[in-house]
Amino acid sequence: MRDKFIVIRKTIFILLGMLVIIFAGKSFYDHRNFNEPVVTNEGVTEVKKLGDYFTGISGTINDCNIYVFEGEEEGSNMLVIGGTHPEEPAGRLAAYLFAENGKMKAGKLFLAITANRSASTGTKLGGAYPPDFSIKTSFGERKFRMGDRWSNPLDQWPDPEVYIHYPSGQNLAYVDTRNLNRTWPGRENGTLTEQTCYAFMELIKKEKIDVFIDLHEAELQYPVISTIVAHENGEELATFVSMMLTDMEGFRMGVEFSPKNLHGLSHREVGDYSDAVSLLFEAPEPFLDATRGTTSREQLLTGKDEFVVMAGKHGLLFEQIDENGWPIAKRVGRHTSAILMTMEIWSEDYPDRPLICEGVPRYEEVIENGVGYYLNDPKSALKNRIVLE
Amino acid sequence: MDMFSFTEIVLGIMVLVYIVSKVFRVSTELSMFFSAVAGSLAGGFGLQPRYFAEGAITYLDINLIFITATFFMNILKESGGVAFAVREILSRFHNHRILILVLMTIILLVPGALTGAGSVTVLIAGGMVSVVLNHMGITKLKTAAIIFIVAGLSAAAPPVSLWAMMTAAGVNMPYIGFFLPLLIPCVLGALITMFLLGWKGEKSNIEEAFEELPIPPERMSWILIALPFLVFFGLIAMGRFLPYSSPIVGLPLMFLIAGATSYFVSPTKIKILQVSRDTIKQLLPLIGTLTAVGILVEIMTLTGVRGLLAVTTVTLPVSVVFGILFFVLPLSEAVLMWGAAPVIGVPLVLLFNTIGLNPIIALAGMSMIWPLGDALPPTALIGRLTVDVVGVDESYSAFLRTCILPSIIIMVMGTLMVIFSSQLDFLTAF
Repeated sequence: MRDKFIVIRKTIFILLGMLVIIFAGKSFYDHRNFNEPVVTNEGVTEVKKLGDYFTGISGTINDCNIYVFEGEEEGSNMLVIGGTHPEEPAGRLAAYLFAENGKMKAGKLFLAITANRSASTGTKLGGAYPPDFSIKTSFGERKFRMGDRWSNPLDQWPDPEVYIHYPSGQNLAYVDTRNLNRTWPGRENGTLTEQTCYAFMELIKKEKIDVFIDLHEAELQYPVISTIVAHENGEELATFVSMMLTDMEGFRMGVEFSPKNLHGLSHREVGDYSDAVSLLFEAPEPFLDATRGTTSREQLLTGKDEFVVMAGKHGLLFEQIDENGWPIAKRVGRHTSAILMTMEIWSEDYPDRPLICEGVPRYEEVIENGVGYYLNDPKSALKNRIVLE
Repeated sequence: MDMFSFTEIVLGIMVLVYIVSKVFRVSTELSMFFSAVAGSLAGGFGLQPRYFAEGAITYLDINLIFITATFFMNILKESGGVAFAVREILSRFHNHRILILVLMTIILLVPGALTGAGSVTVLIAGGMVSVVLNHMGITKLKTAAIIFIVAGLSAAAPPVSLWAMMTAAGVNMPYIGFFLPLLIPCVLGALITMFLLGWKGEKSNIEEAFEELPIPPERMSWILIALPFLVFFGLIAMGRFLPYSSPIVGLPLMFLIAGATSYFVSPTKIKILQVSRDTIKQLLPLIGTLTAVGILVEIMTLTGVRGLLAVTTVTLPVSVVFGILFFVLPLSEAVLMWGAAPVIGVPLVLLFNTIGLNPIIALAGMSMIWPLGDALPPTALIGRLTVDVVGVDESYSAFLRTCILPSIIIMVMGTLMVIFSSQLDFLTAF
């Protein structure tokens, strides 16, 4: 009798386990294979692949799209990357607003919406992230993949016992071998993540990039937040951008200088290993805070969280937060304004090699109209304007 | 309803379901699973398979390390390597009590340090060391207490310390710089325990001990024992010194290669399939625990319960936190086992980091205290295992009483490490 009971119990658990595997498997598969449509603006003159600059990355999951905006007039070259950490959606959405609205009047812009595609195909284990989120528009909702901080282990595994950064030899956490912002300047024969950085460095060199910008978000408990992290070659530019944003656009954006002995980060290595001025922008994202409450799409997009507010009242945060939270429009708007302001200050410094972009909404416009206002309808768009991310 | 009240209700329901499950004698793993199911339903998320699956594989890498390291240790045991080492130590040093106690401490520390599991220490070396200690005139109660506490400290010792690894992962902190902060107090605590409980006793009766100890194969030698360890540390060295020209092996494969070396140099034929089956059977409860803990933590994160615990902890007065560490940590271990690390450890490390303490030293101090909870009900997994392996005749509470004195010393050491973590930050250099 007891044996029979054990068999029945085991059978039930096996069946339940199989059900979980089937339904969860479908969710994981759908997440990994969901293609986001990008309705490119006429300002996008060409869509290249990262593999065009380094064949080692061709055909891999990280062979991401590179949107090229050729200006009407000659000027400088700029590279902006979103999605280094796809768990920080404001960077990717800001890149979307450029791809779907931007047009270069002078200079040339290169744009990656999802610099680490692999990391955008999975979510953080134990983090309970939603697999996707949607932005409301006048024509319905546009859905986007939520991602992780690290490349998907399906694409790069196992991790080493200790990750030793190339070429500095600095010891880093083993998991950071899959962190795109710890593997710069990359390695030709390295891991997928290292090769991705290497490919971007090849792009930077071959296209003679003058200014490089890496878009991020950070938890409020992290000291490097609401700031521009600048390589020493971009200190002056960053300082002026910070001052102008604070004065003209009404939001505070600090400046921090890239530590010389902290390796693998884009603001350090791109500046050290190329001629490009290297900057990294950080916006606040309460969703990443360990003290956050419910892990939901709503929290991700509104940035409202009573627990994080409570942590702030006890002086545990490096950025302010109240009951209004940090809505996605505010975070995206900070990035678009900061990029545009960088172009403007650059153009003032180098009037013979300007960077002038039109059509991209700034901070106040994004807050007023919402992110969705600036996204185009894939259904009514010309097929040749749609690119899959 | 505000977020605090709602999440407190969800937490209350999860705790209630856990308690009811335990009352109905459901295993700790299933109790945690049912608690997670209740939390997901109460939080309004229904039962989304994605979160349960994602939680279940959260500690997949750690499970793989666990399995392969234990497999290696079991092959070493089957080859007669452990028996050889114990007999050799006994025959050479039986007249030197201090030396034997020190060497037995080392033998107990190695399996747990390499695998991260105190139970592996108990199963691999516990039986043989208990024979030696018993014949040195140490009572079975004291022997069991020694093996349990040293096994716990071996699990906290580097290179693999699950509490430190899981907590560090929870706060995005690299598991680097932990070697000395974990090694020094764990070795010190183990030696103190061994000498405190094992110092008094009669002269060792070597003949009787030899009769009870398994006989290793004739051709077994120190070289054959050392070889798989040399291969293991050679692979570590290769990754560290030739990182750009050697393949990434990963700890699980390193342990498998070390196990294969042990298998091929073994003087006796080892039934490899039997050993692998036994290894999985032996580890199934622990793998189950890590899987259930992963699911529980995922659902706690989803529903905001983890955030509630985190924000409550980080806003407590620091003096209160220091004052309650010594019983909160073992208690949380007794209830959640390794789940205590991500649930309680993460907010504590956040707090310590915020107030300027050294999070690595503080976490190392906490990692020393956690394993003490493995003797406490409701789980008492390793405590009961030790009592069985040693063959203690007295009651379980008598065993617990014997553990009290060394446990207090370890709790004090761990708490002092947390309080003075900033002053001890030089230990993180390696």
